Amino acid sequence: MHQWIAAIAVLALWCGYLVWFALVLRRRLRAAQVPVRPVRPVRERIGALGLDMFLVPVLLGLAGLYGAEWTFPGLFMTGAALAIWTFAPRHVTSKVLPLALVGVGFYGFAVIRAYARGTSWLIRYGVATNGDGSAYPHFVLLQAYLLIAGGLWLLWRRLAPGSLASRLLTMPGSAPGQSRRPRWGLLLLPVVGMVIEMLGWTLWLDTPWWTADFTVAVGLIALVLVFRAPAVAADLALAGMLLLGLYGVALAVWWPVHVPLPSPYTADVRFGTVWVASRVAALLAGVEGLALLSLGLWLLPRAIDDRTRALLRSAADAELAGRVVRLTRTRADAVEGAEAELRRLERDLHDGAQARLVALGMSLRAAERLIPTNPAAASALVAEARESSLKVLTELRDLVRGICPPVLAERGLADAVRALVLDTPLRTDVDIDLPGRPDLPVESACYFAVAEVLANAVKHAAARQAQVRIRHESGRLRITVIDDGAGGADPRRGSGLLGLERRLATFDGVLAVNSPLGGPTIVAIEVPCALSSVKTSSC
Amino acid sequence: MRVVIGEDLFLLREGLVRLLQAHDLEIVAAVGTGPELLDALLTQHPDVAIIDVRLPPSFSDEGLRVALEARRRIPGLPVLVLSQYVEQLYARELLSDQAGGVGYLLKDRVFSDEAFVEALRTVAAGGTVLDPEVIAKLLHRRAGDEPITTLSPREREVLELMAQGRSNGAIAQRLFVSEKAISKHSTAIFIKLGLEPSDDDNRRVLAVLAYLNS
Repeated sequence: MHQWIAAIAVLALWCGYLVWFALVLRRRLRAAQVPVRPVRPVRERIGALGLDMFLVPVLLGLAGLYGAEWTFPGLFMTGAALAIWTFAPRHVTSKVLPLALVGVGFYGFAVIRAYARGTSWLIRYGVATNGDGSAYPHFVLLQAYLLIAGGLWLLWRRLAPGSLASRLLTMPGSAPGQSRRPRWGLLLLPVVGMVIEMLGWTLWLDTPWWTADFTVAVGLIALVLVFRAPAVAADLALAGMLLLGLYGVALAVWWPVHVPLPSPYTADVRFGTVWVASRVAALLAGVEGLALLSLGLWLLPRAIDDRTRALLRSAADAELAGRVVRLTRTRADAVEGAEAELRRLERDLHDGAQARLVALGMSLRAAERLIPTNPAAASALVAEARESSLKVLTELRDLVRGICPPVLAERGLADAVRALVLDTPLRTDVDIDLPGRPDLPVESACYFAVAEVLANAVKHAAARQAQVRIRHESGRLRITVIDDGAGGADPRRGSGLLGLERRLATFDGVLAVNSPLGGPTIVAIEVPCALSSVKTSSC
Repeated sequence: MRVVIGEDLFLLREGLVRLLQAHDLEIVAAVGTGPELLDALLTQHPDVAIIDVRLPPSFSDEGLRVALEARRRIPGLPVLVLSQYVEQLYARELLSDQAGGVGYLLKDRVFSDEAFVEALRTVAAGGTVLDPEVIAKLLHRRAGDEPITTLSPREREVLELMAQGRSNGAIAQRLFVSEKAISKHSTAIFIKLGLEPSDDDNRRVLAVLAYLNS
């Protein structure tokens, strides 16, 4: 009875897993919006879904192959895989699959070892079972190597260009994208040779028959590394030399006390050119070890130097390059902005004040002529001229306010913003705490930014209340403007906010807008600047 | 009436001197810098001072600060502050001591000399005169507020003129109605805004400004 209940529960769990998998997959397919094109549609679809999609099926398949599908570990493993696939970020899950493949590959070695020791268990590994007889280890090894190679290849493909791991593995040269080949990468081949000679034929297996697989595979991997990933080969060669050198020295010092290897099959050791069977041979091994060790130690600073320099340089280079790009852009924006501003001023003066003064002069001249003959008309003209001069003054006042508001020049940012708030038809709560004044250009940019944001709040968002907060914290001027308007402000659409962003960028300032539909709108401005205690300055 | 003038532009200073002399006012000092002005105010103790906001040596709000400082030392010293622009912030600072005898006008207002001299006399008598532009800004800011929206258009007009510092008589003259009608309007305004009615012109102006400034 209990067995039945357990079986039904497990079956239900599996059904749940299947439904879960199908639901997430459907959601992802919809979100991916894969374009239907005749060229390579399958590949594109898989690419859009992400490689991690295979994580669950692969683990499921493995569980099935090992006969674990009805056991607690199998169920747990599959559930965990589903959870990771569903909830973990994509860049994490896309690395879990390759790592899982590599792990399963290494598990293959353990399987062979168990077989070699003559286990009575029925062990399945992929397509091989240990009932298959003497060919079994070959199948297992083949699968293990394929899984490891595939996993590593996928992992390599998943490395983002420019990430720490990719920089560690590729070792960029002087120019970006150009990789340098450390010459001692070739040393990996003799090092691997020594390692194979030392433990290859005894490490995993008893019979020399199978060592061929291991030797060939390790040799091939070494060759691939030397020619495809010279930086990795160089590092491995260096590490190998140091470890082998230490081992050689240890042999000489402790012989005949056996220096244990990670294998129970070691009776005696071959080290490089010597078979360590006597005191003299052990000493010779020590000499060899010393030579290897000194060569490794000689190479070590060079490798570390090169590696750190490459790492540091590439980081600094990328930062500098980014800075140059940013400066070029913001400088172009600043020049363009200043130019546009001057043009606007020229146009305003030309069409406004200048034209009015010309008209004024003409009115006065006409009045002058009329005085003897028609004093009443002349007096009317003069009155008109006076009115006109008032208009010129008003226009000039507005113009000046647009260039640099007088309060800003006289009192600085804090009072200028307070004055601005008084002129705005918003109930505004002002909270400003500035122990000094920033540079005038920064002050001006910030003032106009606040003015524009408040104007937007009134004009576009129909806000009733607002809040302005200005602080200077850790070398940065921080301004926050919050309004209770309709929201929906987007710097990418409104040219006003974009202009502000550009103007602030000239000072390495940033502007962030959070404005969900329905409000509230929060605009945060941050500009790195120092404060001076100078109280006044002129515009 | 003894007047001190603080204005750094020579032409404007001389123009003011001539204008005031033409109206039989006595100019006891006409200076061009902040420190000189403060000195003149404290030693001459004039009936009224005309002060430009921007004065040397700092060319910032030096004049305004001198005016505030002088009023701190001589409470209620009448000052008429002139500027190329008007700011509510500065108006608030000038009005903050509630002592009256304060004027804040655009320089343009000098063009109509009679009105200007009238304003000067109001300030000298302890009255308050604010530029129409300041009042317009104040009202604009409060335009959406509940009590202000209940005013009739004529009442708004009267409120605006009242806030500028005009007496009932002057408002009546300006709007071509009887003084009694204006008095009725002003009572209505005070009731609607929930203010304490007052017959004293100056106190009335201060009450209105305090209300608008709040």
